[in-house]
Amino acid sequence: MTVTTAGGVTAAEAVPETRQRSRRGLVIGLGAAVVALAAGLALPYVADTYTMGLAADAALLGLPALGIGFLARHLGLISLGHTAFFGSAAYGFGIAVTQFGWGPMPSVMFGVLAGTAIALLMGVLVVRASGMGFLMLTLALSQALYQLCVQTSFRPLTGAYDGLVIGLGSDTSFLGLSPADLQDPGLFWPVVWVPLAVGLVLVWLVGRSRFGTTLEGIRENEERMRFSGYNTFAPRLAAFVLSGFLASLGGALFALNAAYVSPDVLGFARAGDSLIAAMVGGLGTLVGPLVGTALYVWGEARLNSSANLHLYTGIALIVVLVFLPGGITGTLQRLWKRVKR
Amino acid sequence: MNAAQVLNGIALGSLLMVLSSGLAMIYGLRGVTNFAHGALYMVGAYIGYSVARHLDFWLALVLVPLALAAIGVLLEFVFFRPLQNRSHMEVGLVTFGLALIAERVVVLIWGEKTLSLDPPAGFSGTTSLLGVDYPTYRLGIIAIAIVMAAALIVWLRHTRTGLYIRAASQDIETAGIMGVDVNRISLIVVGLGAALAGLAGALAAPYISVDPSMGDKFLITVLIVVVVGGVGSVGGAMAAGMGLGVIQTVVTVWSPSVSVVVPYAALVVVLLWRPRGLAGRRTA
Repeated sequence: MTVTTAGGVTAAEAVPETRQRSRRGLVIGLGAAVVALAAGLALPYVADTYTMGLAADAALLGLPALGIGFLARHLGLISLGHTAFFGSAAYGFGIAVTQFGWGPMPSVMFGVLAGTAIALLMGVLVVRASGMGFLMLTLALSQALYQLCVQTSFRPLTGAYDGLVIGLGSDTSFLGLSPADLQDPGLFWPVVWVPLAVGLVLVWLVGRSRFGTTLEGIRENEERMRFSGYNTFAPRLAAFVLSGFLASLGGALFALNAAYVSPDVLGFARAGDSLIAAMVGGLGTLVGPLVGTALYVWGEARLNSSANLHLYTGIALIVVLVFLPGGITGTLQRLWKRVKR
Repeated sequence: MNAAQVLNGIALGSLLMVLSSGLAMIYGLRGVTNFAHGALYMVGAYIGYSVARHLDFWLALVLVPLALAAIGVLLEFVFFRPLQNRSHMEVGLVTFGLALIAERVVVLIWGEKTLSLDPPAGFSGTTSLLGVDYPTYRLGIIAIAIVMAAALIVWLRHTRTGLYIRAASQDIETAGIMGVDVNRISLIVVGLGAALAGLAGALAAPYISVDPSMGDKFLITVLIVVVVGGVGSVGGAMAAGMGLGVIQTVVTVWSPSVSVVVPYAALVVVLLWRPRGLAGRRTA
């Protein structure tokens, strides 16, 4: 899998990260995105089912990672709470199917909407905080959701610790895919690859826009931005909601693919894992979190039998923080600059 | 609700008090949120379990804090001191990685199973108090925790080292310029903080069952306690720990679903109403 997606990854990485808003950069970037999108869509024709399963998992977890990376890059905010949006969207999808009896498409929309609404609510409470305060608030609020979700009084809705089995009717279809097709990674792949690629372009364009520059100003000195007459709350909230929306998209599609949600998607371990994966890949670059997530999914599959995954993720996190600031992609970027000089 | 439930709350609050005071001290001095604090507590419980099984429980209450203090000293020399010029965020995340590693190492040594330990001889029965029969061991926890807390506050307020700790927590650079050996102070604080976490773990072993996820379960509550109490304030953390323990236990009787949200709700309310926590920036 690492070989096959590397084409898409490097294509997106070739996007120049200059601050010049040149038309040429835009054309090159969008061109690279189209090539990456097409290359990704061709993946099921060359990769086997096992690889496609890993690729689909990486892409599903890549959406929240993209959101985490966006917040970190443009606002310097590190979130341990993206499980809240991912998980709410997954549960939102499940509840829409099991409780309201909706079809897959409206249920996915409901899930994404639910996750984004949670992001809006949480954002109002947390975006004023910064640094460690922000990290702890996002962690605490997402864990509050986990605690609520596993309560026995919510059992009819969420299934508590048992999780929620989402049985889609066999006559329903999602973009022409039957419920059985949705569980086939090769057939499901475009459903997650297209949103991921579009999300990547969206985040890239937002980063280049005037709004992105405002966010960077807030990151560098919030007080000075406020004194310069900028509203600093609304842009931060908007960025937080966009980030939460990406995570929600991942969550709803995750539930659609798995047809099952367990409280683990909201848990502390998952929150830590997704942040570590993003940091190991590198929070400073656009594709860093995706690279890290792909590595994580691959490592998880390789180490499945030993259950010592957290031993290695812990070591990887410390090694990256102490010796490789900027993660894998950040280090590669530095090396590349040194070679060019 | 009766006296037994209130006492349960006080027993839980006592553990939170001992745990959070160490976390608050480390935060106050190094500015680092020690995510490994829950892991230190868990390691303390496991070592306490082994010592109590093979030797003696009372010996465990002495050996565990010593062993954990040694781990704390190691943490200071290997991570906190070399990384003191890096951002607090990065060092905090390093401790997050350490917590993950510690949890797996504990599983590799002691296994995944939940272990249980009987209270020591003489503390296994109940004592009649306020008209209810209450487990003697929990009363023991409360007594030890209150003595520890009082000793810590007196030490911070009335000794020279305590003065240096308060000074360095207020402003580490100025304290250094004024001739306080900041590295020595930091070594004492991190060692003591780890020892307190270990003590809490050893005390908890016969009370709450010992399992690899016990650190994670407490970590988030303790982080909340420290923020609610006023980051870096030992006294604030103690008060918040005790308060949260009692409130949560009492609310559980009334509605378990509401009680799990109590710490999180307290965090949000306090941060919106008093962003610096209840005690502000006073160390002790």
